[in-house]
Amino acid sequence: MGVACLSNYLISYGLFMNSKQLRDKYSIVGVGYTPQGNVPNLTAVSFYLEACVNAILDAGLKKEDIDGLMVYRHFEPLANDTEITPYLIAQHLGIRPSIVGQEANCARGHLINALGLLEAGFCNYVLIAYGDNAFSGRRTFLKEATHGEPEGDNGAFGEFGLVANYALAARRGMHIFGTGPNTWREIAVSQRKWANLNPIAMMSKKGLSYEEYDNAKWLVEPFRIYDACPISDGGRAYIVTSTERARDLKQKPVYIMGIGEYNPSVDVHQSDFMEGPTGAKEAGKIAFTMADISIDDIDACQIYDCFTYTVEVTLQDYGFFKPGEGYDWFKDGRTAPGGDLPVNTSGGLLSEAYFMGLTPLTEGVMQLMSRCGDRQLGPKTDTKKPQIILCSDNGGVFQSNSTVILRSS
Amino acid sequence: MGYDKPVPKPNSDTRVFWAGCKDHELRFQKCKECGHVRWPPSVVCPKCYSSETEWIVSKGKGRVYSFVVYHVAFHPAFRDEVPYVTAIVELQEGPHLLTNIVGCKASEIKCDMPVEVIWEDITEEFSLPKFKPT
Ligand SMILES: [Zn+2]
Repeated sequence: MGVACLSNYLISYGLFMNSKQLRDKYSIVGVGYTPQGNVPNLTAVSFYLEACVNAILDAGLKKEDIDGLMVYRHFEPLANDTEITPYLIAQHLGIRPSIVGQEANCARGHLINALGLLEAGFCNYVLIAYGDNAFSGRRTFLKEATHGEPEGDNGAFGEFGLVANYALAARRGMHIFGTGPNTWREIAVSQRKWANLNPIAMMSKKGLSYEEYDNAKWLVEPFRIYDACPISDGGRAYIVTSTERARDLKQKPVYIMGIGEYNPSVDVHQSDFMEGPTGAKEAGKIAFTMADISIDDIDACQIYDCFTYTVEVTLQDYGFFKPGEGYDWFKDGRTAPGGDLPVNTSGGLLSEAYFMGLTPLTEGVMQLMSRCGDRQLGPKTDTKKPQIILCSDNGGVFQSNSTVILRSS
Repeated sequence: MGYDKPVPKPNSDTRVFWAGCKDHELRFQKCKECGHVRWPPSVVCPKCYSSETEWIVSKGKGRVYSFVVYHVAFHPAFRDEVPYVTAIVELQEGPHLLTNIVGCKASEIKCDMPVEVIWEDITEEFSLPKFKPT
């Protein structure tokens, strides 16, 4: 069975009928931030703890309420830091969750696994977190995004990891559907404009012009330095529970209207569909089926953006534009402040800070809670007041995609 | 001075491939049941789950599936090499192989252009399959 017909098959046999019953049944009820950017002399675990405590306080919960803890994968410890495990975080938080989990190798099942645990009754409140001291711990961007000790035999050919891996996919996209730096420049510049409205964004005070983008050094061609996200110190966390429980809590809950996950899994080096579709296509179908809406209903997007191209191909695979039409779609600031379809309104990974999929997802939540200050969608930014926001998380090199549709309550 | 770039680290799955490279042969597993030629090597055919396998020698011809140009050396031994090209070559037999494109300027490389293998003997033990335009 081909990939394309798999979801149709499942839908026709009713497997996703159940998913519609989950629509709006669970909610995100609290977000935890920390100081971020360049925050020296703190361990990675300290950022997890600060983010987790703040999420618990934000939701108006007690630590004893937390019975599920999920953390993202962690890169190698820096600066004599300890290995990050969910046990370590639970220990320092003084909690004993029924369920703990840590995703390996960038699989992005955190939220969908949490919903499974909630639906099955194993947990009532699941805390999901990530933190790192990457910036001041001197995990240089290049080092983080590459493997100093290369996996397998790739280093023999001078191939060192993620920048080149995504650049391979982008190059194939250039060849097959005619994308390129002109499109990616629009994405980098538009997101920077959002970051300029976000006082906690790493690039808050730095503008980015077309000329600066065009004159930037190549990193791994076809990517320039502005196509890649920088790294940061800091942490981020959020809490998910049932919408029923959410009604008694402090914040206005944000409903999980739809969710889908898909893992193409194949290593980019062996992929014979390198130009796409990525997992976003199937994950998106599943999420939209659950939410029972179409892309026309989406008011804004928060898209995982390790690289500019990731934003383009993800939105393309969701169906916002046809392959190769990205340039016309992004130009003239469609996704920038004042645009028809705001994308990555915190600045994203490219211009706010790197907390894996938590950067896009928590921004979607905060926008729907109307807690975004100068960058708040609505009259303040000359954009539509949002009711439905589409978020994505992406892991490996297009090997894992999680798509979440959020709705304001 | 010795060879200071990373060298392959053969394991039980890849030993036959790297021994083949030493003999300037690109050896791949072919499924005896369905004929699928697979890479990287494994104990089971991902198409039909047969474990009946034979090793074939590739003709060493294919096309550039995708490529990138490294302008930054992520490893000190590649400092004198930048800009250099890493690429995925799709061999006529099917496998997609990570390699380098040599023998032409980076600006002359295009996706889908035909290439053939050229061997680089890097140490006593290892030879690397690289590719040049045909
Ligand atoms: Zn077979």
